[in-house]
Amino acid sequence: MKIFVTDGSSDSFFTAVFDAYNCRDSLITSSNDVQMTFDSEIISVQPDPEKSRRVQSGISRCDKGAIGDILLVLRSSDGLKEQTALEYVRRLMERKSPIDRAYNLPEVILFNETKEKVTGELHKMKGFLRFMESSSGALYAPYSPDNDITELLMPHFAERFKNQRFVIHDVKRKLAGMYDGRECITAYVGEAEIYLSEYELVFQTLWKKYYRAVNIESRPHEKQMKGYMPVRYWKFLPEKNGNGDL
Amino acid sequence: MIDEKKLEILTESAKYDVSCSSSGSRRQNTRGGLGNASAGGICHSFTPDGRCISLLKILMSNDCVYDCEYCPNRRSADVPRASLTPDEICELTINFYKRNYIEGLFLSSAVFSSPDKTMELLCETATKLRKLYGFNGYIHLKGIPHADPALMMRAARVADRMSYNVELPSEKSLKLLAPQKTKQSLLLPMRRLKDAIDCDRQLKLRRHILPAGQTTQMIIGASPESDGQILKLTESLYRNMGLKRVYYSSYIPVVRSSKLPALPTGLLREHRLYQADWLIRFYGFDVDEICGENENLSPDYDPKCAWALKNMHLFPVEINSAPLEMLLRVPGIGAKSAYKICEARKFAALDFDNLAKMRIVLKRARHFITCKGKFYGTESLPAVRAALILDGAGERSEQLSMFSEPSTALSVLNGQL
Repeated sequence: MKIFVTDGSSDSFFTAVFDAYNCRDSLITSSNDVQMTFDSEIISVQPDPEKSRRVQSGISRCDKGAIGDILLVLRSSDGLKEQTALEYVRRLMERKSPIDRAYNLPEVILFNETKEKVTGELHKMKGFLRFMESSSGALYAPYSPDNDITELLMPHFAERFKNQRFVIHDVKRKLAGMYDGRECITAYVGEAEIYLSEYELVFQTLWKKYYRAVNIESRPHEKQMKGYMPVRYWKFLPEKNGNGDL
Repeated sequence: MIDEKKLEILTESAKYDVSCSSSGSRRQNTRGGLGNASAGGICHSFTPDGRCISLLKILMSNDCVYDCEYCPNRRSADVPRASLTPDEICELTINFYKRNYIEGLFLSSAVFSSPDKTMELLCETATKLRKLYGFNGYIHLKGIPHADPALMMRAARVADRMSYNVELPSEKSLKLLAPQKTKQSLLLPMRRLKDAIDCDRQLKLRRHILPAGQTTQMIIGASPESDGQILKLTESLYRNMGLKRVYYSSYIPVVRSSKLPALPTGLLREHRLYQADWLIRFYGFDVDEICGENENLSPDYDPKCAWALKNMHLFPVEINSAPLEMLLRVPGIGAKSAYKICEARKFAALDFDNLAKMRIVLKRARHFITCKGKFYGTESLPAVRAALILDGAGERSEQLSMFSEPSTALSVLNGQL
């Protein structure tokens, strides 16, 4: 079996699709801990802009929306996401017309499920992200999403905040999205040191009081709360005292 | 800075209001402004009772001149009173919004001094948020009955959504339990707003009044109306008033009164009413099909199951050829599943296994469908009934555990139903 190992970039993935497409017994992955068999051959993929462009235009000819969907899937935390996308591309090229609603095909079901995990978390984070005000007035939000969604989250908040500076920091991937009131950039940032504004803790306390007061104690339904707001996200929520183990 | 104690009192007073939705508006941000609205709505947190927090839901004041029987804030009640100024509310909203705690503000109030004065202050708060603070997030304002229509229109121009609560499902109950509110005082402003919205939508404006429309709410179980009557009223509110949502809140006895039942209404009844409400809005059902005028919905099955069991001659339907309207009427198949089936069958004929892989819930549906002509359910009607009751048992027991005990409910002294 040929194992194509990409560097995680989309160009690298599309290059790998070019090379692996006609090879029956192949696998594309960006993760390092892939299961190997004795006869497997490891090929490290060098991103090739020309190959990548050709693959993308081929895909777009079958379905204009497919590239966008594939880019979403590539942001997933799933270790087999590249393989899922490759099999989807194979099916798409076979049919030569959009297959995103062919819910009877297992490749499509898996692809859509992987995509929905990314877009689902993106939507959740639009709600669960929590900003703190720093002494300089800029807002800072640390979080630790399952999927790599920081770049997707930036435009949503940039539109809301207009000329307010803010930083969204994925502490797991050490990736920070920064907005200076005009444009968004993303960069690798290890640790961030933040000096909070004097009112920050006052509003956090008010928010906690509000959270406690708005609950109807005589109607407990914790299961539903945890279903909608998974415990792994609680670490960054002041109303849960930043405690994921509560 | 707002006082913590005041925030607590005024939140406790507002928390029984069911609506917390932030959907339906596409308000854009302005240059140098703060916030916008997301058409689908966004939930920002969930409380241990399983409800979502989307808006900062708060009363401006709980110091009421009315004496509604069911309301803990009524004039004759002995509860702590508090009020906020428009500026205090604006500051809190802006600071919560900036931290992404909330999607916007849901402002309501007890009627202090007079309806006009109250409505004016609600208006002033919303206007200040928009004009002074450049806030473009979601604002839901509660309409105050008997207030000047001019004030109502002013509110409509700055809010995304407004709601006048019908409170109780019939005029008779309203007279008995909320003597200062009349059917006219609630329905007339609703009608006026509807006319204003209809008129506004015909103009090609960049910004519309009340982009998220109107909603209302009523208490279930404090008065003797049947589910059939409640649903008839609901249907007419949707069709004649163009409401976006009708909310039901099952009665909790927070106030001791000879005119009110001593026991809370089960949440199961509320749940069944919402299921019926969905059938009316999204599944093409008429109320008469679901529930007779003086009947109640069955606690044993959901209303779609109950309808299907009465209409077994229409089933089973073939999944590969049934029209969408019929798929929507199969118990267990929701709007999303019906849509998926319609799309997928264009590519290939579907069998039972395909449906399962598509994550379509077949526990109930299998008794009502065939796949490529094959039937996977139970043949005899009594057996189907028994199977469906068993399926529903989980739902019922889970609901039962949510029933509020009368004793604990009484301890919730501060609340507005």
